[in-house]
Amino acid sequence: MKEYLTFVRQFKDLREGKQEIFIKDLSPGPRKYDTKHVFAEISSDPDRMSDGDILRIRSESGILLPQPWGIKILEELPESVPGKPWEDVFKAMAIPERNPW
Amino acid sequence: MPFKDHRDFIETLRKTGDLIEVTKEVDWDLEAGAIGRKMYEMGGPSIWFKNVKNYPEGYTLYNGSLGTWRRVAVSLSLPPETPTQEIYRAYEERLDKPIDPIILEKKKAPCKENILLGDQVDLYRFPAPMIHEGDGGRYIGSWDLVVTKDPETGWTNWGMYRFMIHNKRWMAGWPQPTSQLAHQMKKYYLPRNEPMPVALVIGADPIAHMVATAPFRLGEDEAKFAGALRRKAIELVKCETCDLLVPAHSEIVIEGEIPTDQIVPDGPFGEYPGYRSGTMAEGVGFRVKAITYRNNPILTMIALGVPIDDSSIAASLTAGIAMKRGLSHRGIPVVDVYVPPEGVTHLIYVSVKKGGAQVTKEVLDYFTARRVMVSKVIVLDEDVDIFDSGQVLHAFATKCHPVRGIVIEHYEGRANSLTPCYSPKERERLKGASVAFDATWPPEWPQEIVPIKAAFKTIYSKEIQNKVIQNWRSYGFK
Repeated sequence: MKEYLTFVRQFKDLREGKQEIFIKDLSPGPRKYDTKHVFAEISSDPDRMSDGDILRIRSESGILLPQPWGIKILEELPESVPGKPWEDVFKAMAIPERNPW
Repeated sequence: MPFKDHRDFIETLRKTGDLIEVTKEVDWDLEAGAIGRKMYEMGGPSIWFKNVKNYPEGYTLYNGSLGTWRRVAVSLSLPPETPTQEIYRAYEERLDKPIDPIILEKKKAPCKENILLGDQVDLYRFPAPMIHEGDGGRYIGSWDLVVTKDPETGWTNWGMYRFMIHNKRWMAGWPQPTSQLAHQMKKYYLPRNEPMPVALVIGADPIAHMVATAPFRLGEDEAKFAGALRRKAIELVKCETCDLLVPAHSEIVIEGEIPTDQIVPDGPFGEYPGYRSGTMAEGVGFRVKAITYRNNPILTMIALGVPIDDSSIAASLTAGIAMKRGLSHRGIPVVDVYVPPEGVTHLIYVSVKKGGAQVTKEVLDYFTARRVMVSKVIVLDEDVDIFDSGQVLHAFATKCHPVRGIVIEHYEGRANSLTPCYSPKERERLKGASVAFDATWPPEWPQEIVPIKAAFKTIYSKEIQNKVIQNWRSYGFK
């Protein structure tokens, strides 16, 4: 069974099921932490995925979720995703805010 | 004589007692980072890890190039014991004499000893460290120098930006949206949807990395200021896959491009303010096209975090002088600027000939005009030695009026997203605020009511001072 790692901003953002996700391969050796972009099914209960792997999860500040999830990789996807640099910042800035302070 | 390369610098640090070589096997996965971090917190020497797990002999890691004022002094060819204020003066004086770089032929450039192109490219050939537990990846670019160019003006920018390994041919990074790299990207490449050529340089001579941390103005080439500080031209060589020029004596050069239509995730990372604070983002992708490197390459790193370390020290010097010049350029009667390393460029001391509310506001206006990296500024009278934080605290505690002495400015779209006190929402929108504390006497107060500082040099006449100094030993003191 292999182990992978992924990051979410907050743990409440996690959702089970099939999804596109970036994961890091935690296999020991000089290629540890290699990133893969995959389509995978993930579950909060690793035991529910008999042929799955372990998925460790960290938050945006690097805090490790105490209980690992399970992951089953269904398809490897291209190594990058469409998007423009800093798009998330520009998008956030475009949304007007009612109560700025 | 300036240092030709990082190897020369290491040899000098060995002689001055500012280097430890570790021959025991050390794991690139957290162990090297933890050792480096602990050493910073002890104020210790730089460390050369010569036996890195999973990597062949000759592939080494080096932490802490400029992690103390001693090493900064050595990098500038000054005696190691040179006081901070004198290092500031030397740096400031030398900047006035920029020297254009020299372009070397490829065959004379040590960084071309090994060349990997196309399918040969593999970032895992190098012992990139996993620096902190919980980081988003292995930051091969932590103490680096990133070269980009504005094709319209020819301006080449050097900046220090973090980049981690994504996979064998991609890196992910997050130069701030307010950075000069981002400026070039937004000005030229994004509107044309053209990938931006980029080179990430590891292990150049120490001055090259120092100037990469400096906030020079848009359009100014850092390479000629590296020459100014070295007092000798820096030698550059052309990249293999683009026309960018990189320091010829570098240990490792990673060439590639930043696409305008593809991204990869970056972070989080334990950053220079001393926290890992939600700095995860849709990062800038760096598609690697070539890697050139010296035989037995030395990968320079920084176990970045709580000050004092290379980042907080280098930025203290480079930002301090840039700010002094910027304030002076705006007509503010600045005497000196000190960026205490402990304040990680969030806290700045500015001394002025004439203070007061108006000058304090003008000082804050300067710091908030464009991208804002500064959070708090203390404005002080010129009698305060701003290189002595004890004196600054005394003046701040006693002279800053709790109501009239505080000026605040709010802004959006140009705040420092790495400032830990900002909420995730504020960081997303680059929204923030800066505050200036006026710790000067109001200029409108008549001289006769200004409180007199009760210090030996200020509350006694010259006559009494001289008498006490002359008789000091006769009182029985040593």
